[in-house]
Amino acid sequence: MNHDLDKLPEIYERYPRTPQSLIAVLQDIQKEFHFLPTEALKRTAEELNVPLSKVFSVSTFYNAFSLHPRGEKIIRVCVGTTCHIRGAKQIQEQLENHLKIKAGETTEDKKFTLEVVACVGACAMAPVVAVDETYHGGVTVASCRKLVKKSKKGKKS
Amino acid sequence: MVSLTINGRVVQANKGEMLLSVTRREGIDIPALCHHDAVEPFGACRLCMVEITKAEWDGWTNYVAACLYPVEDGLIVQTHSSKVNELRRTVLDLLLARCPNSPEIRQLAAEYGVTQTAYEEIPDADNCILCGLCTRVCERLGFKAISTVGRGHDKVVAPPLKEAPPDCVGCLSCAQVCPTNVIQYEDEGNKRTIWNKSFELIACKECGKQTITRDFAEALSSQRNIPEDYFELCDECHRRELSVKMGSIVSWSREAAS
Repeated sequence: MNHDLDKLPEIYERYPRTPQSLIAVLQDIQKEFHFLPTEALKRTAEELNVPLSKVFSVSTFYNAFSLHPRGEKIIRVCVGTTCHIRGAKQIQEQLENHLKIKAGETTEDKKFTLEVVACVGACAMAPVVAVDETYHGGVTVASCRKLVKKSKKGKKS
Repeated sequence: MVSLTINGRVVQANKGEMLLSVTRREGIDIPALCHHDAVEPFGACRLCMVEITKAEWDGWTNYVAACLYPVEDGLIVQTHSSKVNELRRTVLDLLLARCPNSPEIRQLAAEYGVTQTAYEEIPDADNCILCGLCTRVCERLGFKAISTVGRGHDKVVAPPLKEAPPDCVGCLSCAQVCPTNVIQYEDEGNKRTIWNKSFELIACKECGKQTITRDFAEALSSQRNIPEDYFELCDECHRRELSVKMGSIVSWSREAAS
């Protein structure tokens, strides 16, 4: 994957160069590259005057950050109690087979990352599959393939 | 000054002082693994839990971590009541499940009558209790070379990127404060290895004894305003040099007097 570190200075320009900006900067880097490249962590430590150990500590603490390349879109299958009862397991398996990856992995073309989450707080719509920020309720084994196809095509999922 | 009662004894303490430092001064033995006087109290190990109450609380009691509780006037403290000991046993039971092979934890647990954990032991456990004392001491010294990494089950103490830490100077503070002796290092000849990073040890100019690492000396002389050549001698030779100097002053002043 081409991660163009030239984009970093522009990100640093958006926030005051203080340790307080660390999470905001990391979020923007994550958004830009879909993960936090090692070199970006080192540069961030220098730019914001934060010890590298702290940068690493923060970037491994939050689930929103990843040190390994992730897909452009994150598909999250809810496996909370309600979704579980309504067949989340089958949907997860279907998506795994379809994308040819296991939960937690990223497709080879770096389009999708599949994750399972405990509850997205939309139990009334169970079973729920969230593609980035868009929640899809009442998903079936048949419909989740279409969901992937649709999100692949359109910019908006 | 405030006045409080600890185990039935009236004790004077400074306002704002933490309960644990008062009990330590009074010679009361409260176990604490994550506490060190060099750093701010942290309240990670929960072993220093004590029972507190006040006359006006109508018999209500509360359980607090002594290391983080500022003393107040009229506080009534029990450091080893049966409920407190029960709380400590629970903590030790959990610690024993986390580090079943740690001699320090085993001994402390045995003192409280816990010889076998009621929980499931962690397979291939190291002895780290994640008290964060090493990272806090490192930060306090200004090196900030190591930190806690990850969260929950996966949390560990590690250098950034889990590679040799660029900011480490090999001072061994982390290894020395570790309550369970997890942090390993090796001194071989004039080489020290810790956190997978190698350091050169300075040999004393006079006696040849190894003192501190070159990196640590450089950091100290630049940050703390200590002359660079100070670290060319070991502590003993410094003392010897000083005593010779003092001796010559004494003999010089005697000669001057006579």
